[in-house]
Amino acid sequence: MRLPLRWLKEYVDFNVTPEEFVEKLMWRGFEVAEIIDEMPNIKNVVVCTIKSIESHPDAKKLRVCQVDIGEDELVQIVTNSTLVKVGAQVPVALCGAVLADGFEIKPAKLRGVESLGMFCGGKEIGLTDADYEGASRDEVLILNEVHPNGQRVQEAFDLDSIVFDIELTPNRADCQSVIGMCREAAAALGQKFVEPEIKYVDGTGDVSEYAQVTVMNTELCSRYCARVVTDLRIEPSPAWMKKKLRSVGLRPINNIVDITNLVLVEYGQPMHAFDLSCVSDGHIVVRNATEGEKVVTLDSKERIMSEDMLLIADPNKGVGIAGVMGGENSEITSETKATLFESAVFKGSNIRATTKKLHHVTDSAARFIKGVEPVNAMLALNRAIELVEMLGAGRVVGGMIDVCNADIVERTITVDADHINKLIGLKLTPQYMAELLETINIATRVESNKLIVNVPHYRVDIESGIESDWDIAEEVARLHGYYHIPCTLMSGDVFLGKNEKSFCFDDKIKDTLVALGLCEIYSYNFISPSDIEALKLSADDERTKAVELLNPFGKDQSLMRTTLIPSLLKNLSLNYNRKSGYGRFFELGNVHIDNEVLPKEKKMLGISCMLNGESFFTMKGIIEELLDRLGIENVVYTQGKDNYLQPGQRADIYVSGERIGRFGTVHPDLLKFYDMGTKAYVAELDVNKLMAVANATRTYKALPKFPVVNRDIAVVVDESRTCSEITSVIKNTETETIVDDIMLFDVYRGAGIGDGKKSMAFSFTLRAEDHTLSDAEIQGAVRNIIEGLENKLGAKLR
Amino acid sequence: MKATLEAIKARAIESIDTANDLESLDRLYVAILGRNGELTGILRSMPQLSKEERAEMGKKANIVKQEIEALFTQRRAVIAKEAQEKAFLAESVDVTCPGVKTQVIGHLHPLTKTYREIRDVLIGMGFTTFASPEVELEKYNFTMLNLPPDHPARDMQDTFYINDNVLLRTHTSPGEIRALTTLKPPFRILIPGKVFRVDEVDASHSPVFMQMEALVVDRDINFGDLKGLIDTFVKAVFGDDVKSRLRPSYFPFTEPSGEVDISCTICGGKGCRVCKGTGWLEIMGCGITNPHEIENCGLDPHEWKAIALGVGIDRVANLKYGINDIRHLYEGDARFLRQF
Repeated sequence: MRLPLRWLKEYVDFNVTPEEFVEKLMWRGFEVAEIIDEMPNIKNVVVCTIKSIESHPDAKKLRVCQVDIGEDELVQIVTNSTLVKVGAQVPVALCGAVLADGFEIKPAKLRGVESLGMFCGGKEIGLTDADYEGASRDEVLILNEVHPNGQRVQEAFDLDSIVFDIELTPNRADCQSVIGMCREAAAALGQKFVEPEIKYVDGTGDVSEYAQVTVMNTELCSRYCARVVTDLRIEPSPAWMKKKLRSVGLRPINNIVDITNLVLVEYGQPMHAFDLSCVSDGHIVVRNATEGEKVVTLDSKERIMSEDMLLIADPNKGVGIAGVMGGENSEITSETKATLFESAVFKGSNIRATTKKLHHVTDSAARFIKGVEPVNAMLALNRAIELVEMLGAGRVVGGMIDVCNADIVERTITVDADHINKLIGLKLTPQYMAELLETINIATRVESNKLIVNVPHYRVDIESGIESDWDIAEEVARLHGYYHIPCTLMSGDVFLGKNEKSFCFDDKIKDTLVALGLCEIYSYNFISPSDIEALKLSADDERTKAVELLNPFGKDQSLMRTTLIPSLLKNLSLNYNRKSGYGRFFELGNVHIDNEVLPKEKKMLGISCMLNGESFFTMKGIIEELLDRLGIENVVYTQGKDNYLQPGQRADIYVSGERIGRFGTVHPDLLKFYDMGTKAYVAELDVNKLMAVANATRTYKALPKFPVVNRDIAVVVDESRTCSEITSVIKNTETETIVDDIMLFDVYRGAGIGDGKKSMAFSFTLRAEDHTLSDAEIQGAVRNIIEGLENKLGAKLR
Repeated sequence: MKATLEAIKARAIESIDTANDLESLDRLYVAILGRNGELTGILRSMPQLSKEERAEMGKKANIVKQEIEALFTQRRAVIAKEAQEKAFLAESVDVTCPGVKTQVIGHLHPLTKTYREIRDVLIGMGFTTFASPEVELEKYNFTMLNLPPDHPARDMQDTFYINDNVLLRTHTSPGEIRALTTLKPPFRILIPGKVFRVDEVDASHSPVFMQMEALVVDRDINFGDLKGLIDTFVKAVFGDDVKSRLRPSYFPFTEPSGEVDISCTICGGKGCRVCKGTGWLEIMGCGITNPHEIENCGLDPHEWKAIALGVGIDRVANLKYGINDIRHLYEGDARFLRQF
C-alpha cells in the first residue's frame, strides 16, 4: 500500500519527521517497508538559464553554452541540442549529479572543449508527459514557466515529496485505501480524523432509462451499484490528478478511467467504467461464465473462462471478468459518449481462484481478494460522481442502480473490559478503553464493566462472535502501546521442563558421531524419481513408495525422500567435486513412505564416508562404536542384498531378529550417477528401531581381581568360514576359565596356506573370578578352544 | 690415625668435586667406602687400638664416613640434575610447530547448535519438547488454526501439497493443535522441526527451514507474561546487550499478535545492509492464542488461555554466526560445517 505524503497532508497536519511517523505507525501495527522519493535517485540536477550559445570550434553539431545556475560564475555546458535558445530555462545535471537511471555526471571534454555538466530531458530525470508537458520527448526539456536559477528539479517540478510504502497485515483490508490509512495515521499523530464528506448534485433523468443490472449469482456478487454519465468529454485528467496517480505508481489514461483509479486508491474500492454504447440494451448481467467462454480483456489478451468464474456480461456477450479486468469490447475510448460506472462487491475467494486459473492478478483483484465491503462500494461510487462533476467530465444521470443482497446493518458488540484486562495483563478503566477506541473513530459506550462498541462498516475484521473480546483487546493493546505493557513472569502451576526421550536419543546419536569425527548435514527432503530409480530397489521395497508433491519446483524435486541415501550421495559428490578435503558426514532426518491419509514418517540416521583411507570396515567401526554407546548389544551383521551397494561389501544389521539398518560400499554405477570419482560408503539406520533396542541403563561391574592372560592363536580355515563363526566357537567353548576380548587381528592368504583357505589370527584374554590361573589351566583352555575350532569348523592350528 | 682420617677426608672432598659423571663417582665411592676402600681399611684396623683410642677414633671415623657419604649424595644429585638438563636441552622442541592430529572431531551443524541453545533456555523455563510430523493434515496446518479456507496464506504458491487434505507443514503451529487435542492442560511445550514453503532458493530464501514453536496453556496467562517470556528468551539467546521490541502484527492463530525485533547484531542498531538500515531484525511472531483455535481443540477459551511464539532457527543461526547466505545451511560443504 503506497501512501504519498502529499496525499496524507490533505487529511492530517504532518508535524513530525518521516522517520518519527514510521515509528509511530510501527507501534500501531503498520510496517513501512520503504520511504520512496517521488523523484528517486536524482541528485544535483538544477534549473539554469542559458546566457550565451556559441558554435563549437571543431564540431559542427555541438554548441557551447554559458549558463546561470544562480551562482557568481557561469558554467560552461556543451550540448548537441538544437532546441536550446538564449534565455531559455532547462534542467542541467552538474558535475557529481546522479540521474534517474543512476548514471553519474563527470566533467568531460567534448572535442577539446570542457563541459561541466549536461542538459537533461524528461527521461534523464525520470519524468514523462504525465508529469510535465513535453517531458516524454527525447530532447532537452525547455521549461514553460520561470524558476529561480539553481533551484533543484525536485522543487521545480513539485516532486519533492515522499511516499510511504506500507506493508499491510491481511486483517486490515480497510487500510488498503488512502482514507483508511489516513484514519490510522491521524490517530498515530494524535489527531482527529474527519471522515471526508462527498458532495455532488444528483443529475436529472432516470438511470433506469439508460441501464439495468441483473445479478444471477448473488453469493459471488453481494452488491452491484451502478451509475450512468452521459455527454462525456474524454480528455486527459488535470495535473493534480495525474500527479496523485503517478505518486502511487498508476499511469494516467483519461479522465474517466483515472477517476475509477483514483477512487480505487482513495477508498480501496475497485471500480470499472464501461462504454455504455457497447453494452447491449444497457443491460449488465452478472453471471457465471460458460465453460470455455472467451473474453478479450483490456490488455488485448484472450482469456478463456470456466464455469466457476464470474462474468460481467450483457445479454449477448461478456464485457469483463468480474473483479479482475474489463473487456476490450467495452473500453472507454476517446469516442465514448456515455459510461456506466460499476462499483460492486465480489467474493474474494472466488476472485482469487479466478486469478489463479487465469494466471493474472490486477490491482482490483488484489483488493477483492483482501476483501471489500458493501457500504464502501456505494461511497466509492458517490465519490466517482463527485469527481465527474468536479472535472466537468459529463452529465450525471439521476439515480443509482443498486442490486444489494448484502446484509447492511449497524453492528454493535458488547465486550467485557475485565476480560480484556485479563488478556493483556493490565488494569485499564473501561472509560480509558473507550477513549482509545474513539481515536480511530470507533464509537464506544461504557456500561459498568462492559463496552458497547459500534463497529464501523469498514472494520470487517472485528467479529461479533466469540472472538470479539480478543478483537477489542487487540485494539486496546495496540492503541495503548505494546511498550506500555509490563513484562511479567508466568504464574500458575510449576512446570518441570524436560527434553523428551526421543529428542535425548537424537542428541546422543549426534554427539557420538561428532566425537567420531563426522560432520552433521541438513538436506532438503525433496528428491527426483531418477534418484530412486538409480538405487535399483526391488519392486516390493517400501522405499519405492514415494509421496509425490502436487506442486513441486520441478520433476527433479517432485518426491519426498524415502531414504537418506540420495541426500548423502549428493552431499559426498559436492564435497568430492569441490575438493573440500573432508569425507565423514551424517544426517538425522525424516523419510516418508506413502500410506493411507498421512504418509509413514520414519526418522532415519544416514552416515557417509569417503577418501582418507575409509573402507567398508571404517564404516562398520563407526556403526559399532555408535551402537555400543547407545547400549545396543547382540548385534548381528549379515550379507546384505541392496542393489545400490557393491555385492560382497554390503551388510544388514540385525538386533533381536529385527533389521535396524544397512550399510556398505556404494555400487560403482551409483557413484557414476552422482558424479563421484572415488569409492564411498553409506549406512542408513532406523532411529526408532534403534531406540527400541537401546539400553541407557549402566550397572557397575566389579573390576577383575586376578590377573588377565593374553593369548593369540592363528587357525587355517576354508574361505567360506566367517569371523563371527570362529569368534562364536572361541566364546562358547567349554573351558574352566573366562574368555573375553576376542579380536581378529590378521587375515592371511597365500604361500603355505593352500587354495581356498585362509589363516585367521585371533587374540583373546583368559582369567578366573577367584584365583590366578595356573599354566595348566591356561594350556587346557587354549587346547579346548583349538579342539573346538577343529571339530566344529574344520580349522587347523597354523 | 687421626691425621690419616683427615687426609682421607680432604682427598675425598677434592676428588668428589672433580668427578663429572656417575660412573667415575661410583668408582671413587668404591675406592673410599667400598669393601677394600681406604676408609673401610681404617675402620678395619680399629681393633688394634686401645679401648679408649678405639672409642674416640671410632666415633671420629664414623663422622668422617657420614660426611663423605653426604658428599657423595650431594654430588650424585648435582650430576643427575646436570644430566637431566642436558637431556632436556637435547629434547627441546619448537613450540610453534603444529600439534599432531590424533583423532579428528566432527562438528554439529550450526542449526543443531542454535536449536539446542534455544531449546535449553526454554526447558529451563519449564517447557518440554514435543514432536509433530512434517507431512501434515491440511486441517491441522490451517483450518483448526483459524486459517479459513479462503485465506491467502493457503494459496498453492505458499504451500507444498500432497493432495487436497495433506500438505507439508508451512509452520510448526500444527503441533499446537496436536498438543491441544492430546495433552491435558495446563502445559508448556516446544515444538521444533523442519517446515516447508514454496520459495525459490536464494541467499535469504529456502523452501525448507527450521522453526520452533513454544506454547503455554494455562488458566491465567496474559500478554504481559508473553512479553516476559520473550524478554528472557532474547537475553538468554542473544545476550544482555541486545535490545528487543514487541510490536503489533497479525496472525490468524493469535490475537493480539506481535512480532519481535532485536537490535541488529551486525551493526548494533546503527543501521546496515542486513537490517535494511532500520537497526532492527525480525526474529519471531507471537501472541495470545486465538479463541477459535482453543475452541476448535475442544477447550473453553474463557477457561484456558494460551500464549505462543514461533522463532526461525535458521534466522537466529544466521544472526548468531554472521552467515549471509541461507543456502550454506542445506548444502553441507565441509569447509562451512567445520567452522562451527
